[in-house]
Amino acid sequence: MGETNARHSGARALFNRVHGLKSGNILIVFVAIQVIAIGASLAFPQDFRYLSTSNLQVLFRSIPTLGIIAMGVNLLMISGEFDLSVGSTFALASLVMAKLFNAGTPLIVAILAAIAIGIMIGGVNGYIVVKSNVPSFIITLGSMWFWRGIVLLVSQASNEAFNPGPGMDAVFTASIGPVQVQFLWFVAIAIICWFFLERHKLGNHIFATGGNVNAARALGINVKRIKMMNFMILGALASLSGIISTTRVNNVSPIQGEGLELQAIAACVIGGTALMGGRGSVLGAFLGAALLFTVQDVLLLLRAPGYYLRLFVGLIIILAVVLNEILRKK
Amino acid sequence: MSDTSRTDIKAAPQREQTPYIEMRNITKYYGGTIRALHDVNFRINRREIVGLVGDNGAGKSTLIKIISGVLQPTEGQIFVEGKETKFSSSKVAMQNGIETIYQDMNLIDCMDIMRNIFCGRETTTSMGFLDLKEMQERAMHLLKNEVTIEGIRSPEQLVGNLSGGQKQAVSIARAMFFKNQVLLLDEPTSALSVRETQAFLNHIQRLREEGLSIVLVTHNIFHAYQVADRFFLLSQGECVLDVDKSETDIDELTKIIVAH
Repeated sequence: MGETNARHSGARALFNRVHGLKSGNILIVFVAIQVIAIGASLAFPQDFRYLSTSNLQVLFRSIPTLGIIAMGVNLLMISGEFDLSVGSTFALASLVMAKLFNAGTPLIVAILAAIAIGIMIGGVNGYIVVKSNVPSFIITLGSMWFWRGIVLLVSQASNEAFNPGPGMDAVFTASIGPVQVQFLWFVAIAIICWFFLERHKLGNHIFATGGNVNAARALGINVKRIKMMNFMILGALASLSGIISTTRVNNVSPIQGEGLELQAIAACVIGGTALMGGRGSVLGAFLGAALLFTVQDVLLLLRAPGYYLRLFVGLIIILAVVLNEILRKK
Repeated sequence: MSDTSRTDIKAAPQREQTPYIEMRNITKYYGGTIRALHDVNFRINRREIVGLVGDNGAGKSTLIKIISGVLQPTEGQIFVEGKETKFSSSKVAMQNGIETIYQDMNLIDCMDIMRNIFCGRETTTSMGFLDLKEMQERAMHLLKNEVTIEGIRSPEQLVGNLSGGQKQAVSIARAMFFKNQVLLLDEPTSALSVRETQAFLNHIQRLREEGLSIVLVTHNIFHAYQVADRFFLLSQGECVLDVDKSETDIDELTKIIVAH
């Protein structure tokens, strides 16, 4: 009896400790869904193949495309801004890389040019936002259509093949057991973002800028530079995600990346990032992206029709925002 | 007692010491046409509390923003210990020992006390990474030995969960921590309860005794009268009174303020 009570109080203490973390809520939800999915998979191994190698490979391959972008979106949202043009950046960077490579440019130059395109688009977005004081939501909505138009123009609305060879595949898309290299890229970027946000003075300035922009300015923080920096980091990460994704499918589609911007915002919001800025965590955005794909994967394994996915994602976003708001007020 | 019908500028006696901050002939226009300040001469002596009073739109906030480097004057000069200095940004003003605590107290609710105290002036390693251990120890020392704030147990408490008085104290703790010379307090008592206000007024008197100069911007002349050594009254962007406390009283001050 006493042992049972001690075990219960230990579990409660652990729950309270996890709940007290910045990303405690999403962590609890994520672990609960994993426990249910793994339990169901062990109970019904033939009907629900969640733990099969092929399913795990699908998950580890799918999550990084969105997850890497979500890392940048998270930084930008914490500083109080949005970028709706990341899907277009994702496509344009991939297209530029493929076009340059197919024209005979060395691969490394094509990759660097793709990253530079992303940084440039982010820089232009950021510059217009901080100079005009027009909400970034509007500026980047325009930017999203503009750069998508450039993608369609340059590609002539046709696919572009990209076959860089085994070297690039090994760096970006090879498999190590069930784990794909692109997932390791995602984890590495998340760790770098965590150190940057939580342990570097610029991370402190990002929270200050989104938390109270007037206070940050009065404390001598160059809030415009912080926002510009975040737009550029996001541009670079959107490009990197495009490069990895294109290497995986050996092809650039002119409509690739459409909808990624909203999915990335959804991943961050589910992970506890505040829409008004000032709050958020790298682990939260990481788990938010992973959770979106886990739900999608579970629905596919259950052979649910495709429209269930949107229905569930919509519900999760609404629940996450409402729950975060209730907890914030508490 | 002085003539209570007086409304002209009455200059406080010039002290022998060089003021820590002296502003000469400060004029500020917004958008080239809206005049916020006209030919204002303002000084802040060492170990002095100045009550900066005036109605809404009198120019108090503009003057504070110019001293704190947020705004630059259209005309006029600023001297720090007799040396002309341009306050081109709030960072420059802070480097000259001036800390401003605005109505919203310049705190970031979503960050803890320690990160708020060091925000913008973090203790870092060579790569810019935070030296959290050092920051924590210094914040703990500050809260334990220099500025004791009732109800605060740890520098890791979230600022958003503190009361108005506690937030005010954290703002002041931050200013003290960086050994600032001048504290500009913009309507500091507006969010405080009666008890918190009294504690706050006692606290700034202690700060003056410790060597700080303080500019107290307030609508409430009774609060200013309790602690200020000098009163500076602005009306429609112009100085209408600059007087030592020893040369006036609360009735006279009230009448002049009402008259303007």
